[in-house]
Amino acid sequence: MKDEPKRTSVTRWIEERFNLTEMFSFLTNFGIFPFELDTSLPLREAIAGALRRPMPSYARWPRVLGLLSVLLFAFLVITGLMLALYYQPTPARAYESVTVIVRDISFGWFLHQIHGWAADAFLLILLVRGWRFYFQGLYKPPREALWIIAIVTFLAATHVDLTGRLLGWDEQGYWNAVRAVDMLYSLPLLGPLFAFVVGGHVVDSLVLLRFYFLHVAILPMLLTVLFFLHFSGVRRVGLSQLPEESPSGPAVYRMYLYNVLILTVLIFGVLVTLATIVPAAFEKVADPFSTPAGARAPWYLLGSHGFLETFPVVVPRWVRGLALEAILAFCILLPFIDRSPGRTMRERRRANVLGLLVLVVWLLFTWIGYRMEVGA
Amino acid sequence: MIVPAILATMAAAGEPVILCTQCHSDVRVQAERSIHSIEEVPCVSCHGGDRQGNSVATAHRGDFRGKIPRREVPALCASCHSDAERMSHYNLSTDQYALYQTSAHGRALAGGDDRVAVCTDCHGVHEILSSADARSGTFPVNVPETCARCHSDADLIRDYDLPGDPYADFLAGQHGVAFAERKDASAPVCTRCHGAHGAAPPGVGDVDRVCGQCHSTIRAYFLESPHRSAMEQKGWAECSSCHGYHLIAKTNVEMLDRNCLACHGRSSREVKLGEQLKTIYTNASDDLEAARALVDSAKQIPLYVEDYEARLQEGRTSLLESLTAMHSVDLAAVEPLTERARSIGKEVQSDVRGKLEGRKWRRVGLGIFWFYLLVTVAILVRFRRRAMRSVGRE
Repeated sequence: MKDEPKRTSVTRWIEERFNLTEMFSFLTNFGIFPFELDTSLPLREAIAGALRRPMPSYARWPRVLGLLSVLLFAFLVITGLMLALYYQPTPARAYESVTVIVRDISFGWFLHQIHGWAADAFLLILLVRGWRFYFQGLYKPPREALWIIAIVTFLAATHVDLTGRLLGWDEQGYWNAVRAVDMLYSLPLLGPLFAFVVGGHVVDSLVLLRFYFLHVAILPMLLTVLFFLHFSGVRRVGLSQLPEESPSGPAVYRMYLYNVLILTVLIFGVLVTLATIVPAAFEKVADPFSTPAGARAPWYLLGSHGFLETFPVVVPRWVRGLALEAILAFCILLPFIDRSPGRTMRERRRANVLGLLVLVVWLLFTWIGYRMEVGA
Repeated sequence: MIVPAILATMAAAGEPVILCTQCHSDVRVQAERSIHSIEEVPCVSCHGGDRQGNSVATAHRGDFRGKIPRREVPALCASCHSDAERMSHYNLSTDQYALYQTSAHGRALAGGDDRVAVCTDCHGVHEILSSADARSGTFPVNVPETCARCHSDADLIRDYDLPGDPYADFLAGQHGVAFAERKDASAPVCTRCHGAHGAAPPGVGDVDRVCGQCHSTIRAYFLESPHRSAMEQKGWAECSSCHGYHLIAKTNVEMLDRNCLACHGRSSREVKLGEQLKTIYTNASDDLEAARALVDSAKQIPLYVEDYEARLQEGRTSLLESLTAMHSVDLAAVEPLTERARSIGKEVQSDVRGKLEGRKWRRVGLGIFWFYLLVTVAILVRFRRRAMRSVGRE
């Protein structure tokens, strides 16, 4: 079209030099837009097309958990980067530097609390998401890979959390790490592998440095890759469909974009409220020579810890460890074990009863793990 | 046949020949450990006789004295130890015998009582160790036990006008706690108050001098008080009348008014003053305690409280000083100190409370935050509704 007036805009200038749509497409790979974009279109048209895209409800229950976890992850990365400006990962300086952050730096306490609460919320949401996938049968073809990614994401998230707990070098964090390292050593096959990374039974300066590196570099990168893979998969196989839902849905994407924004604002509000009203206690500095009364594993490990510690002594520890690993393997391989196609509640009655049973047993062991007074 | 040959060789080599222990082998082990053996003081310096004598007849001759009677021991030891020329090489003082003669032990011995302590009772007989030797009975840490061997022996002490078990009393008192529990090397042992060779109990008029050697500030305040002259007139021991001796009890704030009642009438001016002193002390102490509790709770949060902790330490020092000043029983001397402690306590309380109050503004901030947050949500919801309507139109 020759006679069209030539508009000069920054977007256009960039667009002539880069494929902006492709870049945008990469960003939408983190849950903001859950469908594939046509990267051959200019950005404006691609976005306009995306906004008009009809789809089932998104960014609201239950198709919100993935997005929610990404948002929390973003909060964690941002607050984490800020905390890293002042944190010093050595046993001699760690506690002191955290004290400086929460005491002397303006709004340092705020970042620290938000980081802690976001971490707990992040894990909780991933856990809930896992159970939703199970109860709604969302691990069945073609979503097997998404299921496996969800499990691995949860595992990676627990490790980010666990490594983060040590960094403050306070009583609870230190003994959390000690308990977790103990548990690692009782896993027969994975144990030696992880133990190699940790480097020994004693939680010392090298372990702190390794945990720090895992916490700020390796594991966040792994999580980023996992989220990328997850949403890549979602964009290819489509949003999860409940049997009774129509695939095109009642509305277009533009509405749900507002949901994403509202959600972001609300999560931020909840985190700020928690950080202000129920701030986590500032613990005493860790003393490797005395275990404080009530030193427990972190909440998501209480179940496994209770299972490992309270099972009859006649069962050797490595067998108990092996049992834990078998459960884990079962979870990961579930899509290949349960091959029945049914997804309605009626068809899944047996699987759901089993799931409920496992959930109750897990909660029971969590309770046992919580009650176990691990004193000096 | 062989022994004379060896002796001849040793004599030729100029070695001193000591044959006493050939028979007295039981003493030999003890004697060889003693400082006298190290300094080559031979048996014959005390016991006389001939150390080269090869038989009882040849050895126990001349000025041989055998076992030394107890009453002769001090004079015998003094024959060397009071000799300034001989002692100068060892950097030892030579006044021990002179001091001993002034001591209760020495005077009783001169009076014919040989059950009192002589040199050997504390220093040992053959196994005489240097006082710097940790095994020695006169090593400072061992002194209380050494004195207790006699002074806490009920059978021995019965015949004397002496307190029953001073060792147990000492251990139960604050000096004993510092000595035995805290292992404080500066804690006073018996000799610190009674003297060593010149051991004697300090009498009325001297007690405060003895205590004042260490508690000098307290003594200075006490000397200014009316108690000093009054107690001396009455013949009451100064410090120990309230604090005890040997068993020196831990002081407590109750002493401030209760102790007055021992001498003064319940409604007297003096007892009122005691009550007043107690009140100003207790008030200051309570204020410091409240400040400390606040600082501790602020530290948990954590807030920066190191400055306040230093300030509280200052307050506590003033409070402690006020107890010292109490010995003057002069309100004008005590009040500035308790007032200072109290004002520090109040100041820290109000500062920390201010900091804690400041945190409440966080809640207010949270309220404002939620207001704007909800406004934002309302706007977004409105936009979404508009988007929905436009979809409906399409």
